Amino acid sequence: MILLEPHNVIIQTTLSEKITKPASVDVQFVDYDGVRFHLSTPERKSVLLLSMHIRCWDELVQYGAIDVLRREYGALLQPQPEPEYSVSLEIDLEQLPASPEDRDAFVMSIALFKRNALAAPFEHAFASQKGLESAATGSGELMQIHYRDEEAIYIQASHDRVTVIFSTVFRDETDRIYGKVFLQEFVDARRQPSIQNAPQVLYSNRDPPLEIRHLPDLRNTEDTGYVTFVLFPRHFGNATVASGTISHIQLFRDYLHYHIKCSKAYMHSRMRHRVAEFQKVLNRAKTEVATGEKKTVSGRTLVTR
Amino acid sequence: MDTAFRKIDIDVYDEDVLQEEELFDADPREPAQVLSDAKQRQVAVRSALAKSDVLGALNIVLENAPYGPNVEEAKTVNLSTLLNILNTTKSADIPNVIKGLSQDGQDTLMKYLYKGMALPGGGDINWSILLGWHEKLTEVAGTGCIVRTMTDRRTV
Amino acid sequence: MSNVLRPYLAAVRSTLTAALTLENFSSQVVERHNKPEVEVGGSKEVLLTPLTISRNENERVLIEPSVNSIRLSIKIKQADEIERILCHKFTRFMMQRAENFIVLRRKPVQGYDISFLITNTHSETMLKHKIVDFIIQFMEDVDREISEMKLSLNARARIVAESYLTAFNS
Repeated sequence: MILLEPHNVIIQTTLSEKITKPASVDVQFVDYDGVRFHLSTPERKSVLLLSMHIRCWDELVQYGAIDVLRREYGALLQPQPEPEYSVSLEIDLEQLPASPEDRDAFVMSIALFKRNALAAPFEHAFASQKGLESAATGSGELMQIHYRDEEAIYIQASHDRVTVIFSTVFRDETDRIYGKVFLQEFVDARRQPSIQNAPQVLYSNRDPPLEIRHLPDLRNTEDTGYVTFVLFPRHFGNATVASGTISHIQLFRDYLHYHIKCSKAYMHSRMRHRVAEFQKVLNRAKTEVATGEKKTVSGRTLVTR
Repeated sequence: MDTAFRKIDIDVYDEDVLQEEELFDADPREPAQVLSDAKQRQVAVRSALAKSDVLGALNIVLENAPYGPNVEEAKTVNLSTLLNILNTTKSADIPNVIKGLSQDGQDTLMKYLYKGMALPGGGDINWSILLGWHEKLTEVAGTGCIVRTMTDRRTV
Repeated sequence: MSNVLRPYLAAVRSTLTAALTLENFSSQVVERHNKPEVEVGGSKEVLLTPLTISRNENERVLIEPSVNSIRLSIKIKQADEIERILCHKFTRFMMQRAENFIVLRRKPVQGYDISFLITNTHSETMLKHKIVDFIIQFMEDVDREISEMKLSLNARARIVAESYLTAFNS
């Protein structure tokens, strides 16, 4: 499992379960980037309320998240979200699509709740790139999504491309060094002929890229890095490709950190193995301690007390 | 209450305590003389090396090597003279040269090898040459030579 | 590379063998104490000349002998940031398990990455040449392990980056 999946597995499994067998439920769970979910049946067993809290909701609304969610979920979207949450969906289990395939597709679309909310600024950028294309010059609004406490995504459309910049902060010294190795490979990997069509990746440590250099609240410390993805129209030309690109690029940070953690775990298991080997070598140095029953002349076993 | 008295090293005032200089007999020569000796030897070694007499050069430099405190400069001069010999010797000649040395000479050479390796680097120091000499010297003189280097207080 | 490594390890082996002539020795400063003199450092007459064996400025071994204990400290090769962090992780991992490696010291001597303390008890309960073998094997393997870990990190990073970027093509 190298790639991460964009949908939320808990939503998917819980929902499928409740569709087959409606029951009262009240669960809270989380997703990447500190997104919180609350799935409950406040009134009756057949009506589920799914609420999501997302840190950068205000920014997402500004870039049209409500419209995207209304397009995806239609009447399910509640005008008034549950208290303490950003947005709520109401799912009536008695009004579901009839065929099993449609049902699965419906469940999947609910499970993509977070992905769809975060997709708004990307769709906005893709649309404004189309608008600017005819002008062949100029650039769109620089959108900032502070999706984590210290990290943000910056998206900007220009006439021939859409630039997506991730700021990353590595808390741990080891993470920082591992992260550097990984990000360097992201930059280098594009030299492979098979992935020449992938977006261009740029990585800079500490210094923010030109596009966002004017922003006031940037951190200029050693543990900060900036990863720039340059998306060309071929990455969002038609609707399917565009939605794939959005799902994929959203998960960049999670993907990177997931693999950094995997590497650390692997190193740890390796060290465990190697240290066990050293232990064996050292144990070979120990002289044999004579253990064996000692018998007296009469045949009784000698017991040391 | 003043607790500074706890930190006083009372052993210093003990008459029986062993002092650094009691560990070995001091060099009878004056520091200045040791230094001029070392410099004279440097010249002698150069002429011996010019005649490609490695064994002779080594014997000159290892004889009466400066040791003990107060003669740091003479030690440095002697070390660089010795390193010069080591670096110019062909590796094939090393075993025969070592066999030609007296036991004291071998011990002193071992001391210099360790001293060279302990330095942070730079200058004439070539670790692979030092390690090569060390290996050959251990083959000829045995572990005892290393033990004598460890136990001899007259550090070069 | 291995022909530079061999005389280095040979020199460590012979020096360590020479230094492993330990005997039981009660403290002559404090009554009823019997401590590794190389750690206490109280009496000059039982401490011997410390010896250093270097392969280059980044790889060296310091052997500090005394009458009843020797301390051996190793400075491991660290060519770059990654090797430095891997080396630090590895030595820390080992030192946290120092009670299993009875000859391992919990903290390295300053300027070195890992230290061993061998006392007369160890040389009495264990075979001396096998202790030496252990140290030598450790020195051989630790370099290899660190470079292999570095390679595997790079390999993983490459695969991860490629599969992420390939997904954009579909």
